[in-house]
Amino acid sequence: MAIEVPAKVFRYRPGAAPRHETYRVTVPDDATVIDAIEAVWRQVNTLMFRHACHHASCGACAVRVNGYEKLPCIVPVKEALAGRAEIVVEPLRNFPLIGDLVVDVAGFFQKQAASGMVITREAEATLDGRPYQRSETFDDEGKLGERPYTRFENCIECGICLSACPTMAAADKFFGPAGLAAIYRATRPADGAQNKSLLLALADGEQGVWRCHSAFECTEACPQSVDPAGAIMALRRELIARKLKRLFGARER
Amino acid sequence: MAVLRDSKLKRILQWGDVRRRKPGMWAYALNRVTGLGLVVYLYLHLVVLSWLAQGPEAWEAFVALAKTPPFLALDVVLLAGLLIHGLNGLRVTLNGFGIGVRAQKPLFIALMVIAAVASIVGGAAIFFQ
Amino acid sequence: MENTLSNTAARPQTGAGSFGWLWQAITGVGLVILAGLHVTAHHYVVEGGLRDFQQVQAYLRHPVILPLEVLFLITVTAHALLGVRAILFDLGLSDNAEKRITQALTVIGALTVGYGLWLTWTIVTYPAAP
Repeated sequence: MAIEVPAKVFRYRPGAAPRHETYRVTVPDDATVIDAIEAVWRQVNTLMFRHACHHASCGACAVRVNGYEKLPCIVPVKEALAGRAEIVVEPLRNFPLIGDLVVDVAGFFQKQAASGMVITREAEATLDGRPYQRSETFDDEGKLGERPYTRFENCIECGICLSACPTMAAADKFFGPAGLAAIYRATRPADGAQNKSLLLALADGEQGVWRCHSAFECTEACPQSVDPAGAIMALRRELIARKLKRLFGARER
Repeated sequence: MAVLRDSKLKRILQWGDVRRRKPGMWAYALNRVTGLGLVVYLYLHLVVLSWLAQGPEAWEAFVALAKTPPFLALDVVLLAGLLIHGLNGLRVTLNGFGIGVRAQKPLFIALMVIAAVASIVGGAAIFFQ
Repeated sequence: MENTLSNTAARPQTGAGSFGWLWQAITGVGLVILAGLHVTAHHYVVEGGLRDFQQVQAYLRHPVILPLEVLFLITVTAHALLGVRAILFDLGLSDNAEKRITQALTVIGALTVGYGLWLTWTIVTYPAAP
């Protein structure tokens, strides 16, 4: 079955004023918002947008749907349209805008690169700062249990957390939720992560964890349960513990 | 490559737009608004207290004004602001040390209920003493 | 977003970023108690709530109260100005501008506390009516 979707899409090109344009497209009723965006593009080939995997793995398509950060590839059109006259599609906040729905992510990826994330299978630290016991994560049959298995390496670098973060609005140099979550993950391996001191120094610096204002919008908006706010709070806890140890004379590890 | 950014002014004020945002964001905006209000109050208060330095007559004149209903009403607003900012601030502090992070939303709601109740009780006490 | 790596990772960090947050938290917790005491003492203790001149003077002349009120003055000024600093630092200013802001607010803080101390001293030593 097909449904008709009114889509109000943000349009912009350098040299013209930004505006919203409403398009009417027809998509299958189990379509997602990215399908609707593609349908708009088939109508107006000039629409700029990013998309790749269509299953929330690549993070390319991140936009705002009805004013809130989403991956449109996993938002059903029916859900986006529920109780509304139209679906509103706009680019992410807090990024420089190149055109239409495409933002400049270069600065973001430079920050991400700083953490040099390695993927390991060590037990993950929880929000409370302690490693999960195996019994807390897996059941007797070795299957993943119901307890949220917080894995900062779930991050697909979609930029949604930066759009949701109030600090990122005007403070460009802030390392950001994704970057700090990546640093936290990269410093977790118990056998001494590479560059741990340098990474913690980055987190401790003037653009690191202390700029966060605890709005928790990053964690709320994250489509992959990365919980960057949890990472930032855990990093703060670790940094304070280190400062206290230093204050009382313990050797720096 | 040409890029477009919202004006600096719009980005600076963006924190105040809590439409479609979640409770954590309301808490942040609320703390900022009450904080700014309290800073203004602090300096107003310090100026007003200079009447104390001028001796009993000057001070009693001010106290007479301070006991009028409109002034008392403002005191209740001040009390509410202090309670909201203080209780939420405790939550932010705990969260910042990694404590209670997962409970941050219900904690915010609970603390604001306490702030509301305490403001009403404290406010009534201000008016009826 | 500009490339920030060249001006953060290379410099040795002094942990200066945590100073503001930590002292904001510490003074904040202190204020829950000190402000609670102050508001209670000045609104809810004497008959009618607000203290008249005699009552203020008697209150401040108490050997335990006076240091507590001074501590309150310092703590609330620090917390207020650290808060203003945090808001200003969200404006995305240069490192230099941020340093200047910290210096300016420190001066304002010192002046505020100085004024408060002067005020307290004046009240406490105000001569009794003839």
